[in-house]
Amino acid sequence: MKKLVATTSCPTGIAHTYMAAESLEQAAKELGVEIKVETCGSVGVENELTEKDIVEADAVIVAADTNVDTNRFQGKYVVTAATSQAIDDAKGLIKKALQGAEEGKTTEVKGDIYSQVSDIKSARKSERRGPYKHLMTGVSHMIPFVVVGGLAIAISFIFGIKAFEEEGTLAAALMQIGGGSAFALMVPVLAGYIAYSIADRPGLAPGMIGGILANQIGAGFLGGIVAGFLAGYFTQWLKNTIKLPKSFQGLMPVLILPFISSLVVGLLMIYVIGQPVQAVMEGLKSWLQSMGDVNAVLLGIILGAMMAFDMGGPVNKAAYTFGVGLLGSNIYEPMAAVMAAGMTPPLGLALATVLFSNRFNKQEREAGKAAWILGISFITEGAIPFAAADPFRVIPAIMSGSAVTGALSMLFGASLKAPHGGIFVLPIPNVVGNLGMYVVAILAGMIITAVMLRILKPKVEQ
Amino acid sequence: MELKDFIKPEFIKMELASQDKKGVIEELVQVLEDNNVIFDREIVLNGVMEREKKGTTGVGNGVAIPHVKSNAVKKPAIVFGKSRKGIEYESLDGKPAYLFFLIAVPEESDNQHIKLLSTLSRMLVHEDFREALSKADTPAAIREVVRRYKK
Repeated sequence: MKKLVATTSCPTGIAHTYMAAESLEQAAKELGVEIKVETCGSVGVENELTEKDIVEADAVIVAADTNVDTNRFQGKYVVTAATSQAIDDAKGLIKKALQGAEEGKTTEVKGDIYSQVSDIKSARKSERRGPYKHLMTGVSHMIPFVVVGGLAIAISFIFGIKAFEEEGTLAAALMQIGGGSAFALMVPVLAGYIAYSIADRPGLAPGMIGGILANQIGAGFLGGIVAGFLAGYFTQWLKNTIKLPKSFQGLMPVLILPFISSLVVGLLMIYVIGQPVQAVMEGLKSWLQSMGDVNAVLLGIILGAMMAFDMGGPVNKAAYTFGVGLLGSNIYEPMAAVMAAGMTPPLGLALATVLFSNRFNKQEREAGKAAWILGISFITEGAIPFAAADPFRVIPAIMSGSAVTGALSMLFGASLKAPHGGIFVLPIPNVVGNLGMYVVAILAGMIITAVMLRILKPKVEQ
Repeated sequence: MELKDFIKPEFIKMELASQDKKGVIEELVQVLEDNNVIFDREIVLNGVMEREKKGTTGVGNGVAIPHVKSNAVKKPAIVFGKSRKGIEYESLDGKPAYLFFLIAVPEESDNQHIKLLSTLSRMLVHEDFREALSKADTPAAIREVVRRYKK
């Protein structure tokens, strides 16, 4: 008997995934074909295909409306369709799969590191839960504002570092766009979208209002984070608590929830929470501005190691958020250290695949070429395929490299006004302070990473 | 909990009044609103419509399963509706739909519940189940069909 394997998935993962699976199973039964169908629904993967299943299968059917990782089906004939096709014409798909297998067809599966990395990124995004997810929603909405602000300020500096002080000049206008507007919106947007992520639309107003208050009080991004979570959870609680007669329920999301929540959050920010957070923020700022070389190096080591530790995971994002948040308080050095240390892991690995190629198998040496691109683009996740294959050697190596880069970047007083962009922001005038030594910091980290890999990784039998 | 516990009598509409796709979705969402399982009718409605934009949930054979996953939903719920004369629903097979299951679940909900809902989707693939639903003419009969077919 012919054997097929199939996998189904749809955007919501509660209906089509399962209807497609059932339709395929039923059609296979009627055609006298054995089939195993894996469902990737919102409860996760059920009836998961094992390696053995796939090896034994004559062909594969992928019925999905979302991106499905097809790497594991390498060497098989893969029929790809939408779930609706599987529901509507499962028999047709099965016949097509069998015919392809009969003719000995195989489907070329794209298995490059780019698609692997983007799969990892989207999988991580969908795995995010609870407060971390809310914080990341806030941060990701904030980033464009920080980019615009940082770059506009940098361009204003082309006319001289104090050129913007003269009213009516282009430099002043650029400063008004960047510092006066884009940076001013940064914390409100962060707070607003944290609250939005928690409580949906009714959370947006109290969150943004809390965020702008955090700005005015001087509580910076820390105050914004506090305001965002406060607004979100409080609004959500109100939503669950207030019971209104039906005729008034339409008022809940537009009037009652935002109004009460904004007042409570606003008053708390002004009278209770604002001051202590402001004190913490001030303390942090003055510590960062006045710290000596030893502390700067220490902070660089910590931020650097965090960036490499989980390569785009929560620890990495914590360090990143710290760097981005401080941009709004006109502190640019940690951001520089964070980005440099985030670029180092893929770059160091890429360098190692060239210098010490006998430490890597053929596939990894191929992946090394892509890692260059991912590294210069500040996509730390580019190191994951290497780390996944050999975590206990690769992670310590990239952490040491990134720690060195972070420490040197801080020591050299390199600064960065853009929150992203990798080497592509370096040529823009004034975006990076102490550019020459900044590049040295990155190169040093790459070399350390490569040397550590050489020491830790055993030779690979070719 | 069993599937039939989801399909409570007050969530069953034996004769839908709507004539078109938008109307029937609104009518089904109204049942959620009337039974106080959603926070915000408009958000839920938008959620259902968004899902339809990604691809119709009129899965053919006279069945439509509009669904939504949203924070505006308090707890998982199913609304069942029947239309005797059929409603044009942009179905995969181009034919009108007669049986409607609106599935609503919160953004973060119990896996057990979603598994139950997914068994309903699977059951709908089977012709005898659909036929039995078509013939059932009281809420009690509908519930009995669902109970009898559960795997």
